Amino acid sequence: MRGPMKAPTRAWKTVVGVVLVAVMLFPVYWMFNVSLTKTGDMRADPPHWFPWDPTFEGYAAALGQQLPALATSLFIGLGTVALTLVVALPAGYSLAKLRPRGAGVMDFLLLVAQMIPAVVMAMGFYAIYIRLGLLNTVAGLIVADSTLAVPFAVLLFRAFMAGIPRELMAAAQIDGAGTWRTFRSIILPLSRNSVITVSLFAFLWAWSDFIFASTLNRNSDVIPITLGIFRYIGNNTTQWNSIMATAVIASIPAAFLLVIAQRYIAAGVTAGAVKD
Amino acid sequence: MAALVTRAGGARGRSRQWTALAFLAPLVIYLLIFYAYPLYRNIDLSVHDYTPRAFVQGDPEFTGPANYLDIVSDDTFLRALRNTALFTLGSIAAQYALGLGLAVFFHRHFRLSVVLRALFLVPWLLPLIVSASTWSWMLNSENGIVNSVLQAFGIGQINWLTSPDTSLLSVTIANIWLGIPFNLVILYAGLQNIPDDLYEAAGLDGANAWQRFWRITFPLLRPVSAITLLLGLIYTLKVVDIIWIMTKGGPADASTTLATWSYREAFGTGQPDFSPAAAVGNLLILIAFAAGLVHVRLQRKEANA
Amino acid sequence: MNRTSISARTAAVLALSALAAACSSAPQGGGGTATAEGGTTYTWWDPYPQHDASSAWAKRVDSCGKEAGVTIKRTAYDTTALTNQALLAGQEGNAPDVILLDNPAVSTLADAGMLTAMADFGLDTSRFDKNLIAAGELDGKTYGIPIGANTLALYYNKEILDDAGVDPDSIKDWASFGAALKKVKAAGKKPITFAGIGTEEGSFQFLPWFWGAGAQLTQLDSPQAVEALTLWTSWVKDGIAPNSVISNSQNTTWEEFLTGEFAFAENGTWQINSAAKAGFPTGIVQIPAKDGGTAPTPTGGEFITVPTQKDTKRYDVTKKILECMTTPEGLVETGTTFAYYIPSTAEGQEAILKKEPSLKPWVEAVRSAKGRTSDNLGTKYPKISEALWTGVQKALSGSASPADALKEAQTQAKQATGD
Repeated sequence: MRGPMKAPTRAWKTVVGVVLVAVMLFPVYWMFNVSLTKTGDMRADPPHWFPWDPTFEGYAAALGQQLPALATSLFIGLGTVALTLVVALPAGYSLAKLRPRGAGVMDFLLLVAQMIPAVVMAMGFYAIYIRLGLLNTVAGLIVADSTLAVPFAVLLFRAFMAGIPRELMAAAQIDGAGTWRTFRSIILPLSRNSVITVSLFAFLWAWSDFIFASTLNRNSDVIPITLGIFRYIGNNTTQWNSIMATAVIASIPAAFLLVIAQRYIAAGVTAGAVKD
Repeated sequence: MAALVTRAGGARGRSRQWTALAFLAPLVIYLLIFYAYPLYRNIDLSVHDYTPRAFVQGDPEFTGPANYLDIVSDDTFLRALRNTALFTLGSIAAQYALGLGLAVFFHRHFRLSVVLRALFLVPWLLPLIVSASTWSWMLNSENGIVNSVLQAFGIGQINWLTSPDTSLLSVTIANIWLGIPFNLVILYAGLQNIPDDLYEAAGLDGANAWQRFWRITFPLLRPVSAITLLLGLIYTLKVVDIIWIMTKGGPADASTTLATWSYREAFGTGQPDFSPAAAVGNLLILIAFAAGLVHVRLQRKEANA
Repeated sequence: MNRTSISARTAAVLALSALAAACSSAPQGGGGTATAEGGTTYTWWDPYPQHDASSAWAKRVDSCGKEAGVTIKRTAYDTTALTNQALLAGQEGNAPDVILLDNPAVSTLADAGMLTAMADFGLDTSRFDKNLIAAGELDGKTYGIPIGANTLALYYNKEILDDAGVDPDSIKDWASFGAALKKVKAAGKKPITFAGIGTEEGSFQFLPWFWGAGAQLTQLDSPQAVEALTLWTSWVKDGIAPNSVISNSQNTTWEEFLTGEFAFAENGTWQINSAAKAGFPTGIVQIPAKDGGTAPTPTGGEFITVPTQKDTKRYDVTKKILECMTTPEGLVETGTTFAYYIPSTAEGQEAILKKEPSLKPWVEAVRSAKGRTSDNLGTKYPKISEALWTGVQKALSGSASPADALKEAQTQAKQATGD
């Protein structure tokens, strides 16, 4: 498989990959197309494949009004990642390797937890936050957003950590390492892929959250981009160019982060962490 | 076996248990604070009659299982149950198959593979209102790009979102599109964890790509696949936004799922009905619970095998 | 929540709910807090996020606060917010001093016991047009005053009508309107678009035809109602209206009209400015009733309401703020800021006509308009409306005949309202 056949096969794969991406991202192109289309042309029949008579109003509005919201969203996303990891990593380790009593029950709780409708969660948070004074704070929103990711993260860590060979841990323990040190120096480095996967999800969920932000951070001076977009949706009118333009602009830093994260996964693998 | 060790281990076993609990403690505290109340609240809502007035005044009438009985005997129920099954199973089957195919495709590096793979996740960066609106835009009966392309091939107008025959299919397609990144990421990470030497050994045996996939990749990916499917099931059961934005569950309930029904009862009309909405929500929790049971059973079987 | 597609109207209700979160800066009941300067802060929620802090609207709210001697903290919510959150605020006892509510929501919140009747703090409501303020009445008490009103009419594309040889003045009843639509179709253009979406917006758009046929909301399956729905259904079937009307929000309908391909679009007062900027000359005609004359159209627009406060002394200032918002000049200013709201008092209407004579047909439309919750339907209206739009959806998509769809709707409405 790794013989001389390799090179042509791979070039062929690149072409297929590009085609697949093009198909997958067609709706994204369409969004971009709409962001540049004049309101009068938006519902043209047949639709315009290309915004040959573009308007930049949407971008002007988005750039002028949404940059602070963008920064807030990035911050909230990163905060959510940190909190999720802090709660979920030890728990995943415990469930996968230390086998506390009641681990099975915990599985169910995590599954059920994820089924609670977001709106009900939001109502619960509202009642709690109003008493704690956490309404309209970024910290409060980070905590709320983390509930989207924590059950998932624990389940995923558990699944991945279960695959780490027991012998590795046993060896460390023979060397005199305690549970904490085993966790830190064996488990964590070996969990790099799953940590990055979880981080990605935690970030994306926080990034796209609307319900918590809308319930808990309405009156705040700092609002995330998902709320920011709503200034373009008036009572009876909708400014589609601005909405789509905001989505385009907001995707750029997030896409950048994605590419970096993906490189890390690749690096982790080539470093051969798991195999050593 | 763990239980045996614990029992036999005496003091050591007990200290092990404490350590395990210590590692678990942050999660337990977290769950108690942030999930217990909402869950309690959802149950409380479903066994009372929370009219808007009762909601504000805090004096709802206790109705026991009445809301559940109403839901189950409602005309919408069977329809929504059927739609939920079709939407959920259709979505996760297609997402999983496509996600796995893509993960395998990207598994071996090739030029641009990292960038292309990252681009697959872009749909996820878009706020749901944007992606769902874009889909309804593309699927519009008259001025949608999809029909415009089909017409170029001589296929007549398909009323994707407005015909009772196709609206469920349309929202399912959009949902599959949204779910591919999730499946791709997890399954790809799972593939990375399969040691390369196994493939090399198989390669030496003269196995072809197809055989390698069925003999090595697929079986070794089973735990990750199981969790992907289970989570996929749970997230798909919950989906509201995309359906709500595209069809409102219509026309005439043709794309109403249990989740959108619950949403509609609570927020889709001028008059919020929290109690039946919560009852439908709890039914969904039960379904997820059942799926969880099946998952654990299968896992146990696997462990014993 | 398509945020387009959620009905603007229902949405406003939902929006307000989100307001709940708004008041959080003043968690204790009443929402008022003393500021450093010793002044008092009053909280104000409205569903106009498109008007930010520097907008004319925000300044107007501020100046009414200043006139009453307080600072107003205004929070705007998008129209997709959630009803439970408005109710949450009531439940948690931290409702704001003033909420601008979409009119069908007034009965709901009043019925929930969240609102103070205008008479209870001595605000005179007799100046307001009877047909408009009716939506704020429940069991003989008035719980809100309209800051303005909007309603529906038929916008037309003059170029298309001229080409097709249609004189808009010839549209007097359904028969003449039907003839006009046929002429447009014969001329190769698209005759009409409207919003038949399965939300409150769908009912809102259907009501002029429903009422115009002589049907009543208490009897959804009357022969008149069936006639109205048959009219809409035949438009879709015969290609007079596009199939997309089944999922169209009012906003989408408008975007379709702006392409210049449609002769008519059913839409509201709020598109006046956009129509003026369209790439073709436009005009409006009133929606005809079946046998001639103008069909009653539903009123839209927000009401100022005053949530119940523990500290009843706050009402004195609230009253001043409300009075400031509803002087004739105030109503005109609101009307133009929102492009357009028709003032809700006779004096206000005269004042705005002096300034903008072209609004005359809209003022007339608003005067003959009818509140959706009137006829003492109150909190029953949302249930009836849901049954109605469901029936409309069934008929338009062809899954039931208009008669069958409305029969089911009537059963559903009866069941839901407990009559």
